Amino acid sequence: MLRIKSPQDVGAAVVFMGIGLAGVYFGRDLSFGSAARMGPGYFPIILSWIIFAIGVVVGFKGLTIEGPAVEAVQLRPILVIIAAILAFGYLVEKLGLAIAAALLTLLAGYARSDVRLWETLLLAAGLALFSVGLFVYGLSQPFPAWWGR
Amino acid sequence: MEFDLLHNLATGFSAAASLKNLGFAFLGCLLGTLIGVLPGIGPIPTIAMLLPITFGLDPLSSLVMLAGIFYGAQYGGSTTSILVNIPGEAASIVTCIDGHEMAKQGRAGAALGVAALGSFFAGTVGTIFIAGFGPPLAAIARQFNSPDYFSLMVLGLVTAVILAHGSVLKAVGMVLVGLLLGLVGTDVNSGLTRYTFGIAEIWEGIDFVPMVIGMFGIVEIIRNLERTELPRPHLKAKMRDLWPGRQDFREAWPAVLRGTGLGSLLGILPGGGAVLASFASYTLEKKVARDPSRFGKGAIEGVAGPESANNAGAQTSFIPLLTLGLPSNPIMALMMGAMIIQGIQPGAAVMTKHPELFWGMVASMWIGNLMLLVINLPLIGIWVRLLSVPYRLLYPAILLFCVIGIYGTNTSAGQLALCAAFAVFGYILVRFGCEPAPLVLGFILGPVMEENLRRSLVISRGDPIVFIERPISATLLAATVLIVLALVVLPQFRRTRKEAFQE
Repeated sequence: MLRIKSPQDVGAAVVFMGIGLAGVYFGRDLSFGSAARMGPGYFPIILSWIIFAIGVVVGFKGLTIEGPAVEAVQLRPILVIIAAILAFGYLVEKLGLAIAAALLTLLAGYARSDVRLWETLLLAAGLALFSVGLFVYGLSQPFPAWWGR
Repeated sequence: MEFDLLHNLATGFSAAASLKNLGFAFLGCLLGTLIGVLPGIGPIPTIAMLLPITFGLDPLSSLVMLAGIFYGAQYGGSTTSILVNIPGEAASIVTCIDGHEMAKQGRAGAALGVAALGSFFAGTVGTIFIAGFGPPLAAIARQFNSPDYFSLMVLGLVTAVILAHGSVLKAVGMVLVGLLLGLVGTDVNSGLTRYTFGIAEIWEGIDFVPMVIGMFGIVEIIRNLERTELPRPHLKAKMRDLWPGRQDFREAWPAVLRGTGLGSLLGILPGGGAVLASFASYTLEKKVARDPSRFGKGAIEGVAGPESANNAGAQTSFIPLLTLGLPSNPIMALMMGAMIIQGIQPGAAVMTKHPELFWGMVASMWIGNLMLLVINLPLIGIWVRLLSVPYRLLYPAILLFCVIGIYGTNTSAGQLALCAAFAVFGYILVRFGCEPAPLVLGFILGPVMEENLRRSLVISRGDPIVFIERPISATLLAATVLIVLALVVLPQFRRTRKEAFQE
């Protein structure tokens, strides 16, 4: 019976094997060519197979040698932060930097469980003003300042 | 030769020391220290976050500012090591041991002062090293052909992996994944797009900035948020007596000299650099000390040696980058990425094609070190206060600047989606015990390595023997094999490596 001795290694093995296989599968239409005339697929396909092989070895280690457990994933920080980044990206053109920045700050505040609403609101307002001042007026970065274009 | 050196340095200083560039160096150092000092942000994310600011400038100003950011970020890391016992990065881990102990005894000022003065001295020597060793190495590099370059990159990547901490096998895997990611986009040779899945954003390759910010900056924010609270600084430390006393000086200067020498040498090695230098210096200081038991209890040599060594090493690790185009550690990979974005392909050609740029950069390193001394000693009080800002107020600001940086370089929401994707990817990798740093090295070298492999095999008509027929390439490969064998065969070496990273 197989028993996972090092969950971290087995996890890494799955990632490596997955990337290796994906590299081979999605590179299947690229011509391989020969060593003397390397096609666009030559180097990536070879790399993918080596990555897959490393995945196999790491996985084997994970099944035979004891290792550390995978730390528990907390969903809240990662989901909220990712959402904040995406919201900023898709809204900044429509709403302008000031509002998008404030929105990002507010959203990001909720990545922690003990949100202090007033503090976060103040921070959002402050950062919005600061970033418009610095990036739009100071560094003339390509952002609409107060409202979208 | 000597005249050349002076002449070259003069060229550099006249280019770098214009009022405008001095201004950028100052700004870079200030920002680098400002961000680097914030707890929980090491030099890699600091530099990644600040990269976009330099893109709008002309190449020399941008490199000058970048050098400032680089030194500022490194020094910021030392400051947090000493005051809060959080090493911003591997290179300042050893600084924590005695530096933080000194801070607890109320000698934080002396520790910070010695770190700054030692770093400045080491930086000066490192600059002279680059000026002296750069041209001869570049001359050697000009004899390199494609097979030699390919073997050099193999050697560089292998040593970088071995000298990084964590599992070697996983690190090799990460380098290869990086190489593969570096190939995404349009293949220069065939004009075909590879692994783009029809996403227009990555037709020209995956953008460096969103990737690095996602994998380092964002992942670090998320990981810090998962902890309940970050440790707070020992503010009891008196900052008034900032200048190290006479006794401190007497104890510190030999350590500074040893650290500088050791660091300068270790920095040149491919895969070497600041981390290796600081560990080696700490070990050396402990060995030569008359009373080794003082170490770990606030011995000033334990700060002076490693801090000088890591700055000297950081400095001389520019040598392989600037002469061979080989980044020896992830920070150098960032610098290389920034240079490529500026349209400069690092390598021996920079020195001949853009001498004012090369020497200007060398000079700006020294200026950067000087700025640090000027900025940091008087401003340490402010940095300390910054350290006491709670993280819940800091991270939204850091996140905002990351996002604005990415969006500002390339006005599209897709870049932010890419950054988010890499943040998730990086987070998963860290959970599985894979350090993302080697991936960046691979990423930056991917296209260059493929091109050199292609050219080598075209010359030899597909025969891989070309890699051992050429003496330079054969030597480099032999060195690689020896290093790998040493790791596999000699259990002693393996143990030393493990211990070095545990201490």
